[in-house]
Amino acid sequence: MRIGLAYDMARFEEKALIQAARGLGHEVQPIYVKNAEFSVTNPVNPGLDFVIQRCVSHYRAYGSTIALERAGCRVVNNLQVLRDCADKLITTSKLSAAGIPVPQTMVAFSRERALEVARRIGFPLVVKPIQGSWGRMVARAVDEQTFQDIIELRENMPNPQLKIHYIQEHIDKPGRDIRIFYVWGEVPVAIYRVSRQWKTNTALGGRAVPCPITDELREITIKTGMAMGDGVLGVDILETGDGGLLVNEVNAVIEFKNTVLSTGYDLPTKIVEETVRVFRK
Amino acid sequence: MDCPVCGVKVKVPDDSLPGELFECKDCGANLEFIQDEKGRPGLKVADEVAEDWGQ
Repeated sequence: MRIGLAYDMARFEEKALIQAARGLGHEVQPIYVKNAEFSVTNPVNPGLDFVIQRCVSHYRAYGSTIALERAGCRVVNNLQVLRDCADKLITTSKLSAAGIPVPQTMVAFSRERALEVARRIGFPLVVKPIQGSWGRMVARAVDEQTFQDIIELRENMPNPQLKIHYIQEHIDKPGRDIRIFYVWGEVPVAIYRVSRQWKTNTALGGRAVPCPITDELREITIKTGMAMGDGVLGVDILETGDGGLLVNEVNAVIEFKNTVLSTGYDLPTKIVEETVRVFRK
Repeated sequence: MDCPVCGVKVKVPDDSLPGELFECKDCGANLEFIQDEKGRPGLKVADEVAEDWGQ
């Protein structure tokens, strides 16, 4: 196949995907989005069987996916999946509607109403921006005063998105969370992200350790992948004190360097193989 | 290629892609491999992490 790879930074993941695709005998066309231009009104189909979307910048991913789909390309992940995964409010709403366990979540649009919500949920709790990654702007309020301080800061930020107060119960994790990968209906590999900090993102120093995939983990991950629209996804799962699992968020432009290095599993080859299989149908 | 910050030579493999990141071992600058409109290779200081970066 002729496979495009739309990217803005050539990291471990992008180079690994290119190498995997070429290793499987496919032709790869890297698309450096920062230098690219696309016609929206007179699109030109680049003649690719599909494009893997790899832009680190969400808005470059968003814009280039729109343009590529307009030009007739199949993009992985598609615009709907990309958009829904990028917004925590949409993600939590879709998962909850599909009966998938998620942390108790409320949304409020004023500081006064946010405080009422917080008092009902109880402390500690977590306040997050509805868009954002790598743990940015995610805050834990241990009591009412901290919560009010957090909301005050958010209300005074110029970004109107920060005035959408996405408030969740705090889950007391066992010093780790789980990042598990969904690839077109399969669940090939997972890691624990271990950290003494309450934010376990590897971008913030969380350490990757292989995680065995239980039947329960597999089932919740498959349900999550299907609920979000299928594709290639990274699912973040929290373990509750009573052995339960909650889906925290879903990622559509996945990072997997730490997963590959800590597990030895060739995820980039799996991604290309399965995507080719799906699109050959 | 020369580091645009301190001028020291930075080793850049022949198969590097535009947008690939390197670190100058001397001054620690994060550098990005670029190609100009004529395809000539070079290095520039990499972009800072932006608000919309991530998964």
